[in-house]
Amino acid sequence: MATTSAGASEIPNARKAADAAEDGREVVFSVRHLWKVFGPKADKIPDDTSVTGLSAQELRERTGCTAAVRDVSFDVHKGEVFVVMGLSGSGKSTLVRCLTRLIEPTSGDLEMDGEDVRAMDRTALRELRRRRAAMVFQHFGLLPHRTVVDNVAYGLEIQGVGKAERREKANEMVDKVGLAGLEKRRPGQLSGGQQQRVGLARALAVDPEVLLFDEPFSALDPLIRRDMQEEVVRLHREEGRTMVFITHDLAEALRVGDRIALMRDGEIVQLGTPEEIVGSPADDYVRDFVRDVPREQVLTVRRAMRPAEDGEADQGPALAADTLISDAIEAVARSGGAARVVDGGRCLGVVDHACLLNVVARIDEDRPGEVAA
Amino acid sequence: MSTASAPPATQRGLGADAPKANPARALLGRRGVAKLLLLAVAAAVLVPVVHAAWPGAAWPSALTVDLSGPLGKTSDWIIDNRDNHWLFVYFLGHLSNAVVISVRAVYLLLLALGWAGVTTGVTLIAWRVAGWRIAATALVSLLVSGALGMWVPTMQTLALMVVAVAVSVVVGALLGLAAGLSERLFRILRPVLDTMQVLPAFAYLLPVVLIFGIGVPAALLATVIYAAPPMARLTALGLRGADPGVLEAVSSLGATGRQRLLTARLPLARKELLLGVNQTIMMALSMVVIASMIGAAGLGDRVYQALASVDVGAALSAAIPIVLLAIVMDRTTAAAGARIGAAGNTATAGPAWLRGWQVWTGVAALTALLALAGRLTGSAVWPGAWFVDIAHPVNDFKEWMVDHLYSGVPVIGGTADWAAHFTNWVLNPLRDGLTALPWYGTLLIVAALAWLIGTWRTALTAVLAMAAIGVLGVWKPSMNTLSQVLAALVVTLVLGFGTGVLAAGSKRFEAILRPVLDVMQTMPQFVYLIPVVALFAVGRAPAAAAAVVYALPAVIRITTQGLRQVDPAAMESARSLGATRWQMLRQVQLPLARPALLLAVNQGVVLVLAVVIIGGLVGGGALGYDVVTGLATGDLALGLVAGVAIVCLGLMLDRVTQPTERRTTGKGA
Repeated sequence: MATTSAGASEIPNARKAADAAEDGREVVFSVRHLWKVFGPKADKIPDDTSVTGLSAQELRERTGCTAAVRDVSFDVHKGEVFVVMGLSGSGKSTLVRCLTRLIEPTSGDLEMDGEDVRAMDRTALRELRRRRAAMVFQHFGLLPHRTVVDNVAYGLEIQGVGKAERREKANEMVDKVGLAGLEKRRPGQLSGGQQQRVGLARALAVDPEVLLFDEPFSALDPLIRRDMQEEVVRLHREEGRTMVFITHDLAEALRVGDRIALMRDGEIVQLGTPEEIVGSPADDYVRDFVRDVPREQVLTVRRAMRPAEDGEADQGPALAADTLISDAIEAVARSGGAARVVDGGRCLGVVDHACLLNVVARIDEDRPGEVAA
Repeated sequence: MSTASAPPATQRGLGADAPKANPARALLGRRGVAKLLLLAVAAAVLVPVVHAAWPGAAWPSALTVDLSGPLGKTSDWIIDNRDNHWLFVYFLGHLSNAVVISVRAVYLLLLALGWAGVTTGVTLIAWRVAGWRIAATALVSLLVSGALGMWVPTMQTLALMVVAVAVSVVVGALLGLAAGLSERLFRILRPVLDTMQVLPAFAYLLPVVLIFGIGVPAALLATVIYAAPPMARLTALGLRGADPGVLEAVSSLGATGRQRLLTARLPLARKELLLGVNQTIMMALSMVVIASMIGAAGLGDRVYQALASVDVGAALSAAIPIVLLAIVMDRTTAAAGARIGAAGNTATAGPAWLRGWQVWTGVAALTALLALAGRLTGSAVWPGAWFVDIAHPVNDFKEWMVDHLYSGVPVIGGTADWAAHFTNWVLNPLRDGLTALPWYGTLLIVAALAWLIGTWRTALTAVLAMAAIGVLGVWKPSMNTLSQVLAALVVTLVLGFGTGVLAAGSKRFEAILRPVLDVMQTMPQFVYLIPVVALFAVGRAPAAAAAVVYALPAVIRITTQGLRQVDPAAMESARSLGATRWQMLRQVQLPLARPALLLAVNQGVVLVLAVVIIGGLVGGGALGYDVVTGLATGDLALGLVAGVAIVCLGLMLDRVTQPTERRTTGKGA
């Protein structure tokens, strides 16, 4: 992994963030050194250098405290899908709740659009929750006594929007998530997937700047989960809304995420694009995690290519630099020879059978320097 | 014993049971033995000392405190100052006036509506809230009440009920709201409410009479004190039991505290709230009937008067409307609860004109119309011609029973013989034994039992409660009451467990049993006295019999449910190992259903005690009789002391049978 930029080394894979900032992309959430500790005298832990270095278990034995989020820093950029992924107990759900202070962080800095969220009073915080960040929950959190449309309109009702207006808006959202015709049903009469669509519509109805998803599809059947993931991808394509997405499912993270923060024991162990996570795992834990990922469906030909040799730069099929390995395999197999990797008319290199197979067979892992940015 | 065995037992299959059970049981045995040893050591030190100081089995008079003097003085002071002391003039007086006026107003309204108006109104409301079946039941019930010549008493009871339930629900809901929102208040209130729920209704009568004197205010207040706790309890539990996921979602959308309460917490607790209203209504009815002893007119008073002269026919005429009223009220509120609890959108079912305020306007209009029609035809109160006299035939039948069934029936003997045998062979020896047992022996037994089943805390409470009885100087009548409770409890448990096991084993038997239990659990305690008086005349045996009948449904229910809820996987594994039915019952079902069985014992004790006390009205004697005498003769000190002893006895019995885990189900239904 390349963590080269000086001054930002506390952020795993900070180069990415720095680059993005240079690109002029706005930062929505800026999180620095965030801690959430549960237990007696929890507020002492983050500043106590004698215990901050301990492992989770040692910390619990020494202090009786559990650090759910440990010294976490990252930026969420406008318009991206930022995925926080980790196993259960890794602190990811706590982390996302800290963003709107549903769980009060113990220490650290937390900004949204440059405003200090931790310094907000109750009114300001309520406004933030009402209009700027809406959340979708694993177990839906729908009100069982209300109809679908009233559930969707609930956020607007809380804001004090008039009945006719919120009904109209809610109906629009119900159509948008594909529940037209079910407006008068109650949550208990819907399937799990439909209920989560209601949850999604409820969050969308308030037109928030950021959507927060807390393991939204973990409680759903695999096929429906797939549908819902595509729904999220579609929504993101259409609206370009910023999303923070919590999941324990690596496939889901790779499918929906622009960038992924991988958490373990409250810490971010790696932060990067799906290709970086799969192609260049930061440590053995991450490597273990991504072992079963079909690499050819995540990695691109950039990673597989080698420099063009004599004459190769002019012949064979041309592939864009972000072509997936799996697509490249097909092209190479059809042509029978090497294919060119082209970016803006320039030939970056070539891929042949051997290069592609090396990636699939993980023989490339010993070459960490070749990650394309 | 139960401390450690309960949690593993619920999870364990039979395969794992055999090897693990023995060391576990050995450990438990050791723990139980340790407790007993500790107690034995304490006893060995204390008993000789105590015995030397106060020889004799009865509670030593040196250790009693005579409260009759101070209590009598207090009572006299209250009577003297009721008309001029500021506390009465500015507070209690207003309270009592408000009660009298509101009950009177409701009563006059009911009378003004006339039988036609009331019948129409009640039927329509039942139809709207619970459907046409229950509406039909309501209609028939009211007509039957009228035909039995009980229209006016029914209206009196109804008026009292309306006010009592309204006040109880409001008070209970407010308390519950406070306890639901504040953790600290919940911790304070919960044990109080739990304890109030196990105390017999009789215990509440005397204190309110002391303050308000005999009359409607006292009756109403006693009813509210008795009926508000379930509402408070269920409101608090409902508010606390709300799905945290939903509440979090509501917070994440930026709801204020008030919005959270009104749009999420209260609606989410609707089911519990309605269950609370249902239980409050049932308890209020039960108490309104009993409160006839302290000045509540109406059906209860009729039963009370009839029982006093052992006029079974007249008692039955008044009891039938009570039972019908109870069934209608219970089914209506239960159906309303079930409707709201169901996820379906029943609220929007039916044509538009059947919804919302229109239908209620229609109900009101139709009621008014029929009330007017009733008045115009000159039959505001129930028409005298429509009267069916059942008192005489019932009394004739009772005479026939006295002649033919009471004694001398070949082979099986007569009912009076049974009662006599039960009294002579069971109640008397038990009572004499308890009285002859040295008092410290009784305390030790109580301590041992409570400690083995529960914790040292419950044991301490039980012992202190028992000692308080002795200090109050009512040791002997309390032992008498206790003997009746124990005898009735044993009979209840034998019958209840037996029936419960049968019902759990056979779906068909359970289906037959269910409606019977439903009706039995709906009936107020008072009503049970009538059939037993008819069958067994008066005395201690009929009181015990009424207690058995009253407590039986709950015990059967809990047993059946407990056996049914045994982990099916454990049952299946036992069956796959080739266990016989009997083996499954003995080795799997009963051990796994142990928490339920302990709960059944606990509930059984509480319910039996309630009725044994009321049995004082039909010759049960002891503490119940003291309360009745105290009320009848105006000797409030006697009654109050007996009331406190009842409370102590109730506390002791509850704690002794209290499993370590606090139960969550309510009383009765």
